[in-house]
Amino acid sequence: MRELRMERGLSQGELAAAVDVSRQSIISIEKGRFVPSLPLALSLARYFDKTVEEVFHADE
Amino acid sequence: MSRRMPKWFMPLFSLGLGVACLVAFWIGDNLRQGLFSLALLGGVGAVFAVGGRSETIRGLRGDGRDEYWYSLDRDATLLAGMTLILVLIGLCFWEWAHGRDGSPYAQLAAIGGATYIAAYIALRMRR
Repeated sequence: MRELRMERGLSQGELAAAVDVSRQSIISIEKGRFVPSLPLALSLARYFDKTVEEVFHADE
Repeated sequence: MSRRMPKWFMPLFSLGLGVACLVAFWIGDNLRQGLFSLALLGGVGAVFAVGGRSETIRGLRGDGRDEYWYSLDRDATLLAGMTLILVLIGLCFWEWAHGRDGSPYAQLAAIGGATYIAAYIALRMRR
């Protein structure tokens, strides 16, 4: 998700505002410390016009 | 997804709690401790009121809460509750080992345990 955000030149705050969450949420998601809910994951995927699998890489 | 409270709820709640402490201590003839409690909780309320630039403050306050802050609140509440229950059990054992009946720790621990079981069953039925 961090790569997609940086490709679009967005700050963490700008992405957070776009999907109506706190900046800290984005920080923790990018660090892998917080797993977003399905609705939030879908919101983020839709924002990037990607699938959830393309945005998030689940640990095997 | 997010549950947000009005930003003035926590400041006013803190202040109200401080006033309640003052009244309780005043009735118990300990006005000095009551005034200290009011000052302390009033200070906490002030931090909530003016600290809105901080996401942490907004998360604690409730108006900036999203699922991330809600998960922190839930886990912190869980940790606080478990700590309290363990301390109560320890105090019960201490009291019983000293030949006392364990009051009020035993009753408080019983309330905690009964609440946990009731909540578990209620949530199981709802989810």
